[in-house]
Amino acid sequence: MNENISRLMDGEIDATELDAVCVALKRHDAMVTWTCYHVIGDAMRGSGGPREGFAARFASRFAEEPTVLAPAPLRGRPLAIATWGWAIAATLAAVTVVGWTASSLVGETPAAVAKAGEATAVSAARVRPSTIPADYLLAHQEYSPGASIRGVGPYVRAVATQDGDRP
Amino acid sequence: MASTRLRRRLFVQRIFVQRVALAPVAWALLTFASSARADDAAQWVARVAHAARQLNYVGTIVYQQGARVETSRLTHLSDNGREYEKLVNLDGPAREVVRTLGEVRIYYPDAKMVRIEPRTFRNAFPSLSAEQQKSLTQFYDFHLVTGERVGGHAADVAIFEPKDGLRYGHRFWADTATGLLLKARVMNERGEVVEQFAFTDLTVNAKIEPAMVEPTFAAVPPDWTVKEASAGDVAPNETGWAVTRVPPGFVKIMEGFRKLRGRRDPVAHLVFSDGLVAISVFVEPYTTAPAPTGMTHQGGLNVYSIRQDDHLVTVLGEAPGATVRLIGNSVSHR
Repeated sequence: MNENISRLMDGEIDATELDAVCVALKRHDAMVTWTCYHVIGDAMRGSGGPREGFAARFASRFAEEPTVLAPAPLRGRPLAIATWGWAIAATLAAVTVVGWTASSLVGETPAAVAKAGEATAVSAARVRPSTIPADYLLAHQEYSPGASIRGVGPYVRAVATQDGDRP
Repeated sequence: MASTRLRRRLFVQRIFVQRVALAPVAWALLTFASSARADDAAQWVARVAHAARQLNYVGTIVYQQGARVETSRLTHLSDNGREYEKLVNLDGPAREVVRTLGEVRIYYPDAKMVRIEPRTFRNAFPSLSAEQQKSLTQFYDFHLVTGERVGGHAADVAIFEPKDGLRYGHRFWADTATGLLLKARVMNERGEVVEQFAFTDLTVNAKIEPAMVEPTFAAVPPDWTVKEASAGDVAPNETGWAVTRVPPGFVKIMEGFRKLRGRRDPVAHLVFSDGLVAISVFVEPYTTAPAPTGMTHQGGLNVYSIRQDDHLVTVLGEAPGATVRLIGNSVSHR
């Protein structure tokens, strides 16, 4: 999985794997790996988060800011509401940023988009089999461990295959 | 380039895990916990499979997939280890499946047809290999919950939650007293039920007379068509076909050629399993009649067919569509 995440970040995942990798990314541990790789990348490129001493510098600069005690002018109110709205939006964005980054990055990889589009077009053009061939189903069941747990379960499936079980 | 980047990422991640996140003691504990669980899961699976084979029972099964619900009546007789079974569906066109020693007959009265499968139904529990036992807990979170109830029977629930998006989640409810499976559910990655079946009424250790497991049509009426699959089971063999991208945890448990009805040439059959489910790969010459290709599914079973030059590849398994497709697209000549 780690390799797939890495390849996804590099835009090297092909359309056939894309679904599985994106689904796998929903898992917490995969997301952690994803975030971890981005942090590593940021650190290596030197474009990572705040540099050392950021908090102290911010605190001292903030303390120097004059405190505005005058009430805001009336026409400023809609703006204030808009700003407040943006603040909430920003908070939500921060909360969901990891998931959002995942989807936007996939979207931004031209190769991935092209391949995904191609795959969709191809599968739409194909004739979909309407039923599962019973021969395959019966041959398969002999080897399914799940079938042995279920006992006759698989035959319930075979019986439920209303038309596909005809020759 | 990419591999260098990957290696760097893996390296940094490993250093982080080793030095910061996990002390060696924690590692040891984790390893111990997961190996203990592997035994639990494998033992549970073995007990349930054994019960399904060894007990006498009769009951009504409700099978649901999507919006479709069907009921059938199941009777199972175990006579000194020899299994006899009869399954009759109660809705729609009548179907009857009768399993006797090494043979499965499926009756279609409306089509005046009977199919005879000479299969032994190897399903007589294939004991899990050590590797498969490990997969059970390496790729699924396994929990056992006691004290539930299904169809009036006290039941234990075995929960197999997939750790990746490549497999479905499974829940099995087994009779606490006998280990017989009472209910089974397959769930997709969104937690939606893909398919499930449950006994609504069930009598375990029932008195089953041999007549109860005999086919309704003891002698096949003369105007019926008999479709008999050619004898001779699959011959284990190298098929010359390989799957280059097998999802983690899946190992090849069988490879060989199989004669399928209506096909001149033997069909290559490869089976991969993660200990809980199996995925079959069939490869056969592409005939002049165009075969349907693409994805389809029935409940928890996904099927993907793709033409590969002059061959038709069909992948069928109890796994999500993406997994089945992944395998189908990576089948190649060895």
